[in-house]
This record gives sequence, structure tokens and C-alpha cells, in this order.
Amino acid sequence: MSETWFVYLGFAAGLLAVGLYTLLTMRNVIKLFIGIEVVSKAVSLVLLSTGFARDHILLAQSLVISFIVVEVSLVATALALIINIYQKTNSLDVRTLAKLKG
Amino acid sequence: MTGNIALLSGVVLFSILAVLAKDLIKSAISLAVASLLLGILFFLMGAPYAAVFEISVVAGLITVLFMLTIALTKTDGEVRESKAVKIVFPLFFIAFIVIDVLVMKNLLPKIQVLAGAAETGTFGEVLWKQRTFDLVGQLAVILAGVFAVLALFRKRNKDE
Repeated sequence: MSETWFVYLGFAAGLLAVGLYTLLTMRNVIKLFIGIEVVSKAVSLVLLSTGFARDHILLAQSLVISFIVVEVSLVATALALIINIYQKTNSLDVRTLAKLKG
Repeated sequence: MTGNIALLSGVVLFSILAVLAKDLIKSAISLAVASLLLGILFFLMGAPYAAVFEISVVAGLITVLFMLTIALTKTDGEVRESKAVKIVFPLFFIAFIVIDVLVMKNLLPKIQVLAGAAETGTFGEVLWKQRTFDLVGQLAVILAGVFAVLALFRKRNKDE
């Protein structure tokens, strides 16, 4: 338990707040996805700073690398989905998705 | 420590810029800069492999993917965001931080420290020997991503 750990956690909470706010308020699909990216930055910061504070930096590092691999896979799939949505609706507004039927 | 706090502030500031910027290209670049600063911070914390991954993959590859998507989805009329978004943001941000600090102040000291000696060995030993099962999961995730992208972009048959 070190004071520095709390500082890292505080900044990670800030990143989480930014990401959550984007997810709650924005309408552009790409912007929403940037919000998810910001949240994932907060998660990797928490993982690594906890390992740093508890003297388990190697384990934390391997977990962060796993997390980054998963994140890239998620990004590739989601951006492909966004392009498909754009081709179907010709818009990036998330509200148009609510009007889709069938 | 001062340098680390400066880097952390930079990460948060560029993330805010990425979220609030009107132009999507500027958003993507701000996100890349935030990742770059986070990578430097990882390096200073003694995690060079995570730093390399963060800088090359998150700041490099993901930004390229974002740029590609933005270029492929160029619309004439931009999506209009609500005007209240920028006004409410500081209030939400400060309220979230205050609530978080108040809750975590009581919660964090109650978390028990896991027993275990300090780590020995190298990063390679930890990754390949202790976390071997994670690597199988990673392979599965990468394959799932590849198949998902292939399925989303497959060509239609002529008779459809």
C-alpha cells in the first residue's frame, strides 16, 4: 500500500470518467468506440500500477500484454462492424440503428 | 514521481481532447498521443515489454485502423452531438472523481494483501511458464477476431 499507488488509481479513475461520459452522451459511433479505448487505457494503467505497487511487475506486465492483444482483436472486429453499419445506413449516428427493423 | 504525474496528466488531458474534439482525425491523433505517453510511463515503471506493446500496437496499429475507418466512412453531414455535452462534462468529471476518491478511501485499505514472495526470474519465465494458459486464450481471441473480420467482409455469392 503506497501513496503512489493511490495517485495512479486516481488518474485511472479520471480516464474511466472520460470514457464512461463518452459512452453515455455521444452519438457518433466512432466517438463511442474512442470512449471504449479510453476505458481500456484506464484498465491497463490500473493493472500495471497495482503490479508496480505490490512488487509483481512481471506478472502485471504479462497480463497487460494479454489485455492489449485482446484489445486489438476487439478494435479490428468493431471497426469492421462500424464500416458495415455505415454501408447499410449511410450514417454514423447511433440513433439510426434504433430504427432498423428485421 | 513528478515526471510520472506530468505524464499521467498528459494521458488524461489528451484523452479528454480525443473525446471532445469535433474532427474525428484529431480525435484519433490525440488518442495516439495519449497511448504514447502511457507507453513512456510504463517504461518508467519498469515494464519495457508492456511499453513496447502499448506504443507499437495501441499507438501505431489501432490509430491506423481508426484512420482507415474514418476515411472509409466519410459522410457529408456530420453527426450532430448534443450541445450540452461539453457543458456538462466538467461537472460529471469532478463529481465522478470526488465520489471515486470517497468510496475508494474506505474500500482500498480493506483489501487484503495476497501472500507471496517477491518475484524472481525474468519476464520470459513469467510469461511462458506461469501464464502459459493465457497464451492459449490469446490465440483463441486472435483467431476469433480474424474470423469475425473475414465474415464481415466476405463477398456475396452471385445468386444472392
